[in-house]
Amino acid sequence: MAFKSFFSDYQRLLLGMVSVIGVVLLWELVFTYVIPLNPFFFTKPSLIAAAFKEQLVSGTLWKDVAISSKAFLLGFSLAVIVGIPIGVFMGWRRRAEYTLDPFFTALYASPLVALAPLLIIIFGVGLTGKVALIFLLAVFPFIFNVFAGVKCTDRLLVNVVRSFGGREKDIYFKVILPSIMPYIVAGARIAIGRGIVGILVTEFYAASEGIGFAISRFGDTYRLPDMFAAIMVLMIMAVVLTEGLRKLETFLTPWKTGQEAR
Amino acid sequence: MVPCIEARSLNLTFTPKNRGPVTALQGFDLQVSKGEFLTLVGPSGCGKSTFLNVLLGLLKPDSGELSLNGKQIHGPGQERAMVFQEFGLLPWRTVLANVELGLELKGVAPLIRHERARELIQLVGLESFQNHYPHELSGGMKQRVGLARALATEPEVLLMDEPFAALDAQTRDLMQTELLQIWERTKKTVLFVTHSIEEAAYLSDRVVIMTARPGRTKNVFKIDLPRPRDYEMRLTPEFNDIKATIWSSLKDELGTKAAGNGI
Amino acid sequence: MNTLTNFYREREQAILGGGFILLLILIWQTVPALISLPRGIALFFTTPVEVIKSFYQLVVKNEIQSHVYVSAVEFIVGLGLAILVGLPLGLVMGRSKILDAMLDPFVTAFNATPRLVFLPLLILWMGIGIWSKIMIVFVGALFPLLINTYEGVKNVDRVLVNVVRSFGASEWQTMKVVVLPNSVPYIVVGLRLAIGRALLGVVVGEFFASSRGLGFMIAGAATNYKVDIVFVGVAIFMGLSLALTHLVKRLESRLSRWRPDEVKTY
Repeated sequence: MAFKSFFSDYQRLLLGMVSVIGVVLLWELVFTYVIPLNPFFFTKPSLIAAAFKEQLVSGTLWKDVAISSKAFLLGFSLAVIVGIPIGVFMGWRRRAEYTLDPFFTALYASPLVALAPLLIIIFGVGLTGKVALIFLLAVFPFIFNVFAGVKCTDRLLVNVVRSFGGREKDIYFKVILPSIMPYIVAGARIAIGRGIVGILVTEFYAASEGIGFAISRFGDTYRLPDMFAAIMVLMIMAVVLTEGLRKLETFLTPWKTGQEAR
Repeated sequence: MVPCIEARSLNLTFTPKNRGPVTALQGFDLQVSKGEFLTLVGPSGCGKSTFLNVLLGLLKPDSGELSLNGKQIHGPGQERAMVFQEFGLLPWRTVLANVELGLELKGVAPLIRHERARELIQLVGLESFQNHYPHELSGGMKQRVGLARALATEPEVLLMDEPFAALDAQTRDLMQTELLQIWERTKKTVLFVTHSIEEAAYLSDRVVIMTARPGRTKNVFKIDLPRPRDYEMRLTPEFNDIKATIWSSLKDELGTKAAGNGI
Repeated sequence: MNTLTNFYREREQAILGGGFILLLILIWQTVPALISLPRGIALFFTTPVEVIKSFYQLVVKNEIQSHVYVSAVEFIVGLGLAILVGLPLGLVMGRSKILDAMLDPFVTAFNATPRLVFLPLLILWMGIGIWSKIMIVFVGALFPLLINTYEGVKNVDRVLVNVVRSFGASEWQTMKVVVLPNSVPYIVVGLRLAIGRALLGVVVGEFFASSRGLGFMIAGAATNYKVDIVFVGVAIFMGLSLALTHLVKRLESRLSRWRPDEVKTY
């Protein structure tokens, strides 16, 4: 729209970068020369960078990231495998929608993290509990987004395929599945955030490894630069995943004239 | 001559939720000869699209007979193909992949169907667009893809449900002439539905007027204009007479409000 | 017989949906009566009736009220702050391209990351008093509100703005007459999302950094294997969430009547 033409994408990017660099510089300068830095309370970019380098070199960072990622991927994959078929089922069969929608809506709307302590007590502190919670949190965005996508499927296209002699399986693979791709990706974007919450909650609560545990441990031992470094690593991963999915969305749907939904 | 399509006493009633039953067709009779271009005209809701869908095999009549070449119709089949008013192109497929759809569903081998699809894309004049997506095409172009797709499976009967209604007037005129050219070349039996008297008169061999709901055949008019037809014919007094005849039969079905306004 | 089928047909949606939930509750209740559970699971198992009994006990013994009060305060103050900060900031960001471009990287980064990751930091800064929870609720609820307000403002039809400007309206008047009314549906969606995040913030904040509140009650009960109390807490949050979301959805449809149908974002 006219908005962006005032400011080309290039200019926007530039301003953004200037802003970020400016903030970092300001942060560093203020706490080096203006306000005395209380190491038990705050830290500054140079210290964070040093801590980050150290973690990288010593390999602790990778280890933690790997452990958390393993649980995340398992839980997330389960959510995809279970959530999408359920969403299709609900979207395609009206009776299934009537039966399952209220129940799932109630679950989706509740803070399922409240069950985290319970899951940990039941499954212990290892992988199973984490995966269970991540699954519970990540499955619903898929169910509901796929459900919405299937319901939005152009019935005309279903008729077209039928008119050329297509059967049930043709309808699923040639019409429904391509139709719901953008919805799946949108669901994935939301599910990622929720999945990360799952990781963090379980690792804060009762874990001995993983990036969430690292953040909380650094906090307990007042190692602020390390803590900030770990937080930033998580932030970068989250941003990469989310923005990556956004790009994937445009790539997978070259036929859409693009609508934004955050 | 044995009629290609024969409908006898077709009855179809819809029962939508939360509303009363709607009788779309009642005692509907029709005979269509092979290679003929026949148009159904009638007021809104008279059942003409419903009949096309029954013929296509997507709807089942409650009672009555419907046969193609003497055989009963039991669902979609390769001998019939439809061109839809809203185009119905799969937005995630290129033009080529869309035209191939019918062939793909029949299990035709990829190389063969690519070839066939390309032929048809050429027939409708879209060769330079075969790798484009529907959203990049204009309305007229999309409908040409729809036409190519319908012709790809080499049906005997081409069903066209107000195919040009969504196009602007100029494109519509163009498409009508192109359709006639393609029809002359491919010699299909065409069953065409429209609201436009002008379109019906210009395109068809015969025009069938349907009554208001519930739909039945009211009148059948033979269009005696020579073929091939061109745009100039629409400007002749003979053409106007034909239109007047059709209108006089149609206007009673449109209800007193419309008839008085001389639409 | 016909009246029965008619009755069913009219209420099919409610019957199937409600019936399914009732069925699940029933199954849950009767499982221990039907199967003898192995020792391990029996420790964690509870039934709906037990949960209701515990709830009753907690209310009668006046144990639950203080928890509810604390959680409620955290929720309301946190959400309130988020609204106070998020709405104006979203409005300004939406209207000022410069500010938008400068803040965008931060907003994107913070929006993609679950705000939960800052909890240890907030605990470090504010201890386990009520303010750390309020801050987590605030930070969680802020972003949906901010972003949705911002989107609402950005999506204003240029043509309408020009129309109003052509009548000589100032920036403030333009805001009032065109931008704000247009943004209201977006803001309400943001509010709905923010409420969910705020509740989440309360729950999780109280797990880790609290000596009071419903979340704390849940965590404590879990450690003591009092699963029925855990479910009391979960049920309360579930009920609250449903009630609030329902209210906001009603508000949403009331205020969005002028908009053409769009696909919902969850």
